[in-house]
Amino acid sequence: MERFIADLVKDFETGKVDRRQFCETLALAATVYAAGESAANAAPAHGLTMLGINHISYNCPDYAKARDWYSSVFGMEITPGKDSGKRANLMFGPEPGKGGNFVVARTGETTSNAKATVDHVCYTISNWDEAKVRAALRANGLNPTGRDGSLHVYDPFDYDMQIASAVQENAFRR
Amino acid sequence: MEGFIATKLDDFAQGKISRRRLIETLTSAVAALCATEDAKAASADPALKVALVNHVSYTCPNFKEAADWYSKVFNLDQVGATANDVALPFGKKAEKPYGVTANDVPLSHLIIRTRAVNAPAGAGQEPRRKSRALVDHIGYTVADFDRDKARAELISLGVKNVRDGGLYSLHMLDPFGYDVQISGFANNALTDG
Repeated sequence: MERFIADLVKDFETGKVDRRQFCETLALAATVYAAGESAANAAPAHGLTMLGINHISYNCPDYAKARDWYSSVFGMEITPGKDSGKRANLMFGPEPGKGGNFVVARTGETTSNAKATVDHVCYTISNWDEAKVRAALRANGLNPTGRDGSLHVYDPFDYDMQIASAVQENAFRR
Repeated sequence: MEGFIATKLDDFAQGKISRRRLIETLTSAVAALCATEDAKAASADPALKVALVNHVSYTCPNFKEAADWYSKVFNLDQVGATANDVALPFGKKAEKPYGVTANDVPLSHLIIRTRAVNAPAGAGQEPRRKSRALVDHIGYTVADFDRDKARAELISLGVKNVRDGGLYSLHMLDPFGYDVQISGFANNALTDG
């Protein structure tokens, strides 16, 4: 708030806002600030702000098999210049660097000392069409389980992959 | 592709890579792109094209402890709690995922659970198969990422094993020893690896 006021004063001094605008703006800001004060006080004062998933790091016995499967069945794009012979980046969603996600498919260690695990990852399919989705899965030799709008299949390494519509899989509709 | 080319050109202009390396890299990239486009045209069905990660299903011995950690470190709300799990969406209810314009792509979220690893995906279904693959870490994008500031913040929060990852990111361990990576948008499919 102090910073906001300081900027407003500067705007006033430099003629960017007149006295009336100064007063109206500050009054409105004060009202909003007062209304939100309790919420602001309740919010965590520390920590980072999560924007989204950056990538999924996926290890398996043969990255090329995973690369080809995820790209050919689910349309993930193999990132040009990022196939090292041991790993590949598979991108999807918005452009890289602008909110896009990617899977790093690696040939690598498949055991972990962690006490937690990611037992599956669910991907959103936009413009979900139940009949077309099921037909496309069958055409790829897959036998989905689950319910309409939320289906599970196994990838070539028996990793559980879920695909879903926004209606059936949404954090706010659980 | 355009971003990738621009990055490589910048590297060349700054003397980070040689002319030969630039040409080889771009040639390889174009070849890979052509191969990718051919493969996509041949087999990918538009009905299955993934738009974004919907959720990551994370299973651990104490979902409440894990959820509180993720809430604290990443300022995430907890919604829809049950006796065994809770969801942590990456934003507020009416928001769209960063960079997404479609109306039918919801916010990505974590579902943090306590359950058997081979628990069935749904009622009446068979137990999950034992996987031969492993998601060994998840990378998250955080706002205004500054590695030094983020490291200091994480350490002040008591986060364990905070360490640099590559050029653009940090790794850490969550309460159950699971590897968590964070970065800004500089770490993406074109720059990672």
